[in-house]
Amino acid sequence: MGSQGGFGQSKEFLDLIKSIGECRSKAEEDRIVLREIETLKTRLSSPNTPKFKLKEYLIRLLYVEMLGHDASFGYIHAVKMTHDENLLLKRTGYLAVTLFLNEDHDLIILIVNTIQKDLKSDNYLVVCAALNAVCRLINEETIPAVLPQVVELLGHQKEAVRKKAVMALHRFYQRAPGSVSHLISNFRKRLCDNDPGVMGAALCPLFDLITIDADAYKDLVVSFVNILKQVAERRLPKSYDYHQMPAPFIQIKLLKILALLGSGDKKASEQMYTIVGDIMRKCDSTSNIGNAILYECICCVSSLHPNPKLLEAAADAISKFLKSDSHNLRYLGIDALSRLIKISPEIAEQHQLAVIDCLEFEYLFVCSFSCYKASMSLNLAFPYMISISDNHYKTEIASRCVELAEQFAPSNQWFIQAMNKVFEHAGDLVNAKVAHNLMRLIAEGFGEDDDAADTQLRSSAVESYLQIMGEPKLPSAFLQVICWVLGEYGTADGKYSASYITGKLCDVAEAHLADDTVKAYAITALMKIYSFEIAAGRAVDVLPECQSLIEEMLASHSTDLQQRAYELQAILNLDAHAVEKIMPMDSTCDDIEIDKSLSFLNGYVQQAVENGAQPYIPESERSGMSNISNFKSQEDHESSTHALRFEAYELPKPVLSQNVPPILASSTELVPVPEPLYVADILQPATSAPSGSDAGPSELRLRLDGVQRKWGKPTYSSATPSTSSNDTVKIQNEATQRDSVGISNSKTRDVSYDSRKQQVEISPEKQKLAASLFGVVSKSDGRQPSSSQKISKHQNPTSDKSRAAKTAAPDTAAVKTSQPPPDLLDLSEPSVSSSAPSVDPFKQWKAFLI
Amino acid sequence: MIRGVIIMNDQGKPRLIRFYEFQLIFGCCWSILIRGLRLACGEAAGAGSKHLQNRAENVSNFVKVDSLFGPSYDHQLAGCAACVQNFCNIYFVFIFDNSENELAMLDLMQVFVETLDKCFSNVCELDIVFNFNKVHTILDEIILGGQVLETSSSDVVMAVEDISKLEKNSNSIIPSIPGWQGR
Repeated sequence: MGSQGGFGQSKEFLDLIKSIGECRSKAEEDRIVLREIETLKTRLSSPNTPKFKLKEYLIRLLYVEMLGHDASFGYIHAVKMTHDENLLLKRTGYLAVTLFLNEDHDLIILIVNTIQKDLKSDNYLVVCAALNAVCRLINEETIPAVLPQVVELLGHQKEAVRKKAVMALHRFYQRAPGSVSHLISNFRKRLCDNDPGVMGAALCPLFDLITIDADAYKDLVVSFVNILKQVAERRLPKSYDYHQMPAPFIQIKLLKILALLGSGDKKASEQMYTIVGDIMRKCDSTSNIGNAILYECICCVSSLHPNPKLLEAAADAISKFLKSDSHNLRYLGIDALSRLIKISPEIAEQHQLAVIDCLEFEYLFVCSFSCYKASMSLNLAFPYMISISDNHYKTEIASRCVELAEQFAPSNQWFIQAMNKVFEHAGDLVNAKVAHNLMRLIAEGFGEDDDAADTQLRSSAVESYLQIMGEPKLPSAFLQVICWVLGEYGTADGKYSASYITGKLCDVAEAHLADDTVKAYAITALMKIYSFEIAAGRAVDVLPECQSLIEEMLASHSTDLQQRAYELQAILNLDAHAVEKIMPMDSTCDDIEIDKSLSFLNGYVQQAVENGAQPYIPESERSGMSNISNFKSQEDHESSTHALRFEAYELPKPVLSQNVPPILASSTELVPVPEPLYVADILQPATSAPSGSDAGPSELRLRLDGVQRKWGKPTYSSATPSTSSNDTVKIQNEATQRDSVGISNSKTRDVSYDSRKQQVEISPEKQKLAASLFGVVSKSDGRQPSSSQKISKHQNPTSDKSRAAKTAAPDTAAVKTSQPPPDLLDLSEPSVSSSAPSVDPFKQWKAFLI
Repeated sequence: MIRGVIIMNDQGKPRLIRFYEFQLIFGCCWSILIRGLRLACGEAAGAGSKHLQNRAENVSNFVKVDSLFGPSYDHQLAGCAACVQNFCNIYFVFIFDNSENELAMLDLMQVFVETLDKCFSNVCELDIVFNFNKVHTILDEIILGGQVLETSSSDVVMAVEDISKLEKNSNSIIPSIPGWQGR
């Protein structure tokens, strides 16, 4: 390149670009650019810099920003430069501000005045520069400031200015439709402009307007058709020809507008048939732009009221596209085909082979497959999907296949088969939502009230899964679906025995030891099957391998698995009546109502109050007394500054009330519920219900006291010793606190309260020590509460069976809905891992368990 | 409408970036963009090569850009497509939504390149680097506010020459920079 010297830029700029071009790493480039930024900073702010130098610095700054660095320090210089009298500098300034600033930038206000002045300039180039800036920079607030000038320019003698003024108005319309609504008639007027360029520019805003409301512009159909005719007959000046096509871009825009106006309107369509047919005939299909027009014609034909002749012509054109060697044309051919297919499906038959050819060329083609029968397109897509190794493409194709299958599935069985294939080959890449959808579909059936069909669907699903699950290396998501379906419907039709299914489930769990999610699904499935068996009155014989699996889970490091294992064990020991309440058969789609106000406890509370218990003081009243807790003060804050609350905080509650249905309730694994508040709400009925009984759950209550004492603010009347700020802990306290109201035995509480107070006053050294030990302690800590729970669970049913049955319903509701592992038992777990407690919990546990 | 225009070289270095709907915030998603464009150019993801390879034989010029620019731009570019074309070692990328005709975009790109060629007489990468303000001027004559303004390259050249003549006149008080007008 001998031309570097001629660019008028200094050597410094040349060196900068050279060194950036030669650097080998991003870090090196960054170093160079940062150095450049420093130089520019000093040079730009120095008052002695000559103006023309300033221009170059600004351009260098633009370059720096383009490379991805912050150049905000120079924005003000760009703004200053727009004020300059010199045209070159002014234009550079405008260019810089349009590239630097976005429309909401504070500096815009400094430019508006200059723009106003420039719009009135005698020099049309200055006006053009200002209009360019207007298009980019003027926002809703500043539109009124420049609007009168821009409207005036619509009548400017130079066509370039008129054109840009139309565009600027269009831009205003896009930004703030309201601000220019009274000027929309101007666009219609410009359609009759002498200059075709201005007319073409007016088509852009009209296209937008017609997209929104086609009916208001039906009267323009004739004018559009006339314009198109004139264009196609080469009545425009020669300078509008492009590759021997007369004004192709105007033609394309007009065809798009006609498509909008003619869709679903027979009368309007009839006016267009002749001209569209003419254009299709005349199109020169050897040039790129000719094909562009042809493609646009096909799109237009497909949206007009059907006309056999035109459809035939369009089909011919498509077949030309599909047979072409150019990939672009094939791509468009398929796209056009998918449009036309909606009107005349038989065309698809002719072009099957061509489409299959295309498939080998580009994955994107799959997106257009909706034009075929879903079964056929998927049969084509699967081998292709399997053959590619690139994850990005594979994900793309898998999601397309799912989309297609969902839309076009001919039968339910087919759909399940198709999904099986997708999962098998790309299971780890598809969205988890897809798996959930599949489960829901199987659970809900297809919405029709045809139980037999649903049952058949389910048993065919079970059958296919039993076949597939033996294969090695199935993706995790797929295994989850399999486990869930087997758990729900494995034994439903009586074809397979419970021991057969449970054996299979155990195999799955054992084959995927590293995958906790799959194991969790498997164990829940086991639980379902056993409880169905128990409920049906059959004797349950737990297979030895299941037994060992459960044992293993009981000692698992994952609290989730542990929890599930304990639940399973507990259920095995319940009687048929209770189990049926807990795990009703095929109840995944039933709504579970949660009595949030715990009204069923009212009588009990009443009784307790009569017996001398303190009445419950609502949170809001209590908060006045103790404001130490973060949670409370936060709540105060929330209530006092009610106006500032964001929507996001509100969300969990609707979820709770409405969303309990199908999937959510069906199995605990399906939908994560990350909101701690939500969990707390659910927890309440669960924890308080058992504690409501007199003798049985004494241990349970004891344990809860322990938790409370450990971290919590003990009761509303006491000074709060806790220092923890973890939310979960607080919430948990809340739950226990509220439920403690229901506990009539206030004496024991007082006693424990005293001891608690003592324990709280542990020296800081000890606390530190505890904190340092905590990592070790927490492991054993996590296990202990559940073992105590285990005992209580074992005792409960035997001592008081009817109570178990009574509380079972809310209990399962809580178990089912609360998510991740329903922390009923392991309340301590999250806080253990997340916050350092002020006292040694291990000691306390010991104290309570002994 | 046209959402943006990008010119870059085969090493992924940007030579011109212009967005019409919003400002691409510096640095935030550059690597994603480059990766996306590499993908767009038919290169297998994860290939270690620093250079963009020539576009694979078996792909068309059009790519969906839904996810090319990272999460912060996905909603703004939803449903958009990009048209990628390389001339020598420069890649031109037009990003546009579904109200534009794909092939027409390809031709608009052709117009743009032809115009550049006429203005710089046989354009090369260095011309674009050193005169990117002029490239912007040319682009402004072709696309305004995301809409196609002018498609005749000779008209664009004329307009650009008008501008440069005028700039030259007003410029004569500053003799020290001949500027790019001389070409």
